[in-house]
Amino acid sequence: MTHIESTRFGTIEVRPESVLEFPNGLIGLGGSRYVLVAPEADSVFLWLHSADDPSLALPVTRPWNFFPGYEVSLSDDETARLSFPADADPDVWVTVRAGEELESFSANLKAPILVCDGVAHQVINEAPDAPVRAALFSADVAHAVVA
Amino acid sequence: MLIVTRRAGEKIMLGDDIVVEVMEIAGNTVRIGIQAPRSLPVYREEIWDVVRDENRAAAQAAPASLPEPAKPAA
Repeated sequence: MTHIESTRFGTIEVRPESVLEFPNGLIGLGGSRYVLVAPEADSVFLWLHSADDPSLALPVTRPWNFFPGYEVSLSDDETARLSFPADADPDVWVTVRAGEELESFSANLKAPILVCDGVAHQVINEAPDAPVRAALFSADVAHAVVA
Repeated sequence: MLIVTRRAGEKIMLGDDIVVEVMEIAGNTVRIGIQAPRSLPVYREEIWDVVRDENRAAAQAAPASLPEPAKPAA
């Protein structure tokens, strides 16, 4: 067991096998090792926390929690870069931008994070209808959650 | 910034492994070919830029700002 001294969460215990290797880091942010931190066992939002930078963490969620029809389509070059096994069924996460109001929460459907066997890549999704900022909560739902 | 003048068909080497070739020049459009190790991601700058901004914005969140919806909005 190793641990992260997170500026957000204090000490986080981490099993070495749960560390995700990002050979190319997150786009524009870098970092090569992250862990997924779940506030609760069934949390909708988790944190992708850097194992090396105690202040670097991004909220993530599974896209199908909010977008049942979501698809990821990769260019041939991107597929070759990942070098996942041909029959791989990677976990898919999208980063979440939190806002002041739930209505302003959004997910980045353009650049999902694919995880397979402890190796993770943030990729460019070529599918249509994959915006960088997709609203997570409609006004109606937002009010229902707050209520 | 290094500035190099190239004609169509001419190339630039970045180190030993990366080749950038000016394929075709037509009007104000230039087609560029890039040969790089396949492990090296190659992005259009405007895509890289918005994703970087989005990653940075996501990283600003504080733990208290994340809701726990009882049921995911479907």
